[in-house]
Amino acid sequence: MKTSRRRGPFGSALPHALLLVALVFPAARLSAHDIPRDVTVQAFAKPEGQTLRLLMRVPLKAIMDIEFPRRERDYVDLSRVDQALRDAATVWLSNKIEIYEGDTLLENPRIVSTRMSLESDRSFGAYEDALAHVTGPTLPADTTIFWEQGLLDVLFEYPIQSDRSRFSIHAAFDRLALSVITALRFLPPGGVVRAYELPGDAGLIRLDPRWHQAAMRFVGLGFFHILDGIDHLLFLLCLVIPFRRARALIPIVTSFTVAHSITLIASAYNYAPDALWFPPLIETLIAMSIVYMALENIVAARLARRWIITFLFGLVHGFGFSFGLEHTLQFAGSHLLTSLLSFNVGVELGQLLVLALLVPALEVLFRFVVAERMGTIILSALIAHTGWHWMIDRFGVLRQFPWPTVTAAGLAGGIRWLTIIVAVAAIAWLVFVLTQRSSRPGAGETAVGAEK
Amino acid sequence: MSNLTRRRNVVVGAGFGALLVMLAVGQTVLEKTAAAQSKASVQAPRFEVDPLWPKPLPNHWILGSAIGVWVDADDHIWIIHRSSATLGNNEKPLEMGTGECCAGAPPVLEFDQAGNLLRHWGGPGAGYEWPDSNHGIFIDYKGNVWIGGNGGPDSHVLKFTKDGKFLMQSGKKGARRKTGAAAGGNEGDVAGFVGGSNDEVSFGRVAKIFVDAKANEAYIADGYLNKRVAVLDADTGKLKRFWGAYGNKPDDTPLPAYDPAAPPAQQFRNPVHCADLSVDRLLYVCDRVGDRLQVFTPEGKFVKEAFYAKNTKNAGSVWDIAFSKDPQQKYIFMADGVNEKVKVVDRQTLQEVTTFGDGGRQPGQFYGVHSIAIDSKGNLYTTETYEGKRLQKFVYKGMAAVNKANQGTTWPSTR
Repeated sequence: MKTSRRRGPFGSALPHALLLVALVFPAARLSAHDIPRDVTVQAFAKPEGQTLRLLMRVPLKAIMDIEFPRRERDYVDLSRVDQALRDAATVWLSNKIEIYEGDTLLENPRIVSTRMSLESDRSFGAYEDALAHVTGPTLPADTTIFWEQGLLDVLFEYPIQSDRSRFSIHAAFDRLALSVITALRFLPPGGVVRAYELPGDAGLIRLDPRWHQAAMRFVGLGFFHILDGIDHLLFLLCLVIPFRRARALIPIVTSFTVAHSITLIASAYNYAPDALWFPPLIETLIAMSIVYMALENIVAARLARRWIITFLFGLVHGFGFSFGLEHTLQFAGSHLLTSLLSFNVGVELGQLLVLALLVPALEVLFRFVVAERMGTIILSALIAHTGWHWMIDRFGVLRQFPWPTVTAAGLAGGIRWLTIIVAVAAIAWLVFVLTQRSSRPGAGETAVGAEK
Repeated sequence: MSNLTRRRNVVVGAGFGALLVMLAVGQTVLEKTAAAQSKASVQAPRFEVDPLWPKPLPNHWILGSAIGVWVDADDHIWIIHRSSATLGNNEKPLEMGTGECCAGAPPVLEFDQAGNLLRHWGGPGAGYEWPDSNHGIFIDYKGNVWIGGNGGPDSHVLKFTKDGKFLMQSGKKGARRKTGAAAGGNEGDVAGFVGGSNDEVSFGRVAKIFVDAKANEAYIADGYLNKRVAVLDADTGKLKRFWGAYGNKPDDTPLPAYDPAAPPAQQFRNPVHCADLSVDRLLYVCDRVGDRLQVFTPEGKFVKEAFYAKNTKNAGSVWDIAFSKDPQQKYIFMADGVNEKVKVVDRQTLQEVTTFGDGGRQPGQFYGVHSIAIDSKGNLYTTETYEGKRLQKFVYKGMAAVNKANQGTTWPSTR
């Protein structure tokens, strides 16, 4: 992707010109004001034919060092404000935006129209309303308005090759305020609307990612998510302390992966309870899963049963993963399922990395430092201790919520989940039965022999 | 496979099958019941208090009686309060120089959605007369801040920019002064002043302001001394029209004490406490002590009225209102500072649907809930007067079936 930008003459010269004005007329009319604490930029990007329209609205209080012409009592002189609005749009908006068509950086845009609007104006709720507003009548010239209490609305147009191209945007608006949110809606042909909520400078955002671009992004997210999650890592450690051979690890890790994939995907499709008490419940259950696993390691760990327990706890951990994924699904484009699966792949890669480090480390520990049984007990006791404190703390948060009222709708929802769990258990049992049958040598003959 | 194993597998398989069938049947029955229940029940907006909002004020500041709240176009919450004037000496040792905490905060405060304090200003200054007792705050469609006042001599409204720069004063302070006049029987009355509800220049202790963007007019709830709604040009502050209860010509003759059994008074009682315009251009006026809400056209033609908690005496039950955020403004949220509730009222029928809140000092409870406002997401904000001295946020949780007349304290349970 090209990184250089072909600037128009206005784009590079204007800041210098403004600086010159500021030096020549230091205290005349340039009104210094504080950088605002928080600002929301609203934007619509719509490719149509050979043009990409970018509609933007930003509060003028975020615009520094632009002089707005004034009349009596410092009201903005709306009859002369257009040039100042264009300067503001260039310096603070278009110069901070890079839009790519495929891998090609687009030229500086043309400013089609600017408007100063009252902060009560609501036309940026929908693209058509915003477009009609920015190209419609200006505020009456006798409107009394202070520039700090106004809004800057702009319509930019970028020439493009095709509205079917894949577009990316990099909006570096982090200097507009201490905290900036850009609410961007992308309207590609076909009637789809993709909404993005981007912090200050969110880097390059692919508005319509290819499946592999979305996949790569989510693999990375999943990979770092598991490495960030100390409770997931402790759970993993509990799983592998007694079982360090590949033959034993494969069913356990697979069972954990399948289970957390189920609940993660269910959450992404809004099947998880939408309740304040739900995250603390899941967090408590995750802590409980660590305590249980650690205690089982101390008492007696049985491989035959561990994959089942791991599956159940995996369901819980999947909900936990989903809390971390909530705000990033906007980058999935039209590849929600691919992105979710990729996130899981990332989680698995992270787990494999951790296992690759943990298993040899445990081997060394049990061979040279402490006997395996004793080492298992000591390590598990330490983990149980940590998990216990997490469990108590998290339960403290959870118990602040009163028991939800039992309603028919709530019960129906509960039964829906119970049905899913029973169905999954039935399938798991069926797989188990079939596996047993096929793995038994000469199963058919034995059965026949038994009848003799 | 042995017969025993096969038999066991058949039993387990059949068990799974039977369980799934039972669950499916149970779910169908429950969903039907839930659908029937939801169809039969009345729905109303549901709220939960956010006990951690707003964040603590800086500089050891505390609020005095909080008597105005509004939400601007950025969803920032603005309040006005009476600060040190309503703080006891034991509440403000820092200000008195007798201890480390606390001091009255500036009267006008702006909060963001996260509850952080942003701008703060207010108090006497050059070019305007700051009220003796602040009352009511409104942010107009141009982002300007309007305030009223219900202190003894307050008979004016003020307009500022959001930064606190003075823009306009309408009415003159002290206009209602009359030597020797006795104090009325209403809350906050002081001797030496009389109502002037037909005055075309000044007001009589203004409670609240609402600016109509379409006509650029300010509706004044006038007030604690006058008995009228006054309408001003929002740029010049010039009076355009005014009227009393039922659209009558206002009359300041003292009324007998409120009697729930008596025929409704033909004039407003003091205070006329709110005058808010709806999207369909109906003006809703709070006759606080008369326990009633009267509805008018913008020109002052009476449309209808309704009474709430009609047996409420003294300070009354209809303190302030906010309209719900749906396009039709289907509901009115009404602050009732005597019964310590927020009433949810159907705007078309003016019937009370449900209420929430209770008296008390814990989050979600009230002590003198005085003013109410709503943000773009439908969250409510209330301020409390007297010793309540508090700003609270009630998070909108969507529509829910009404299962009791009063929901009580709205403690958080869902997101």
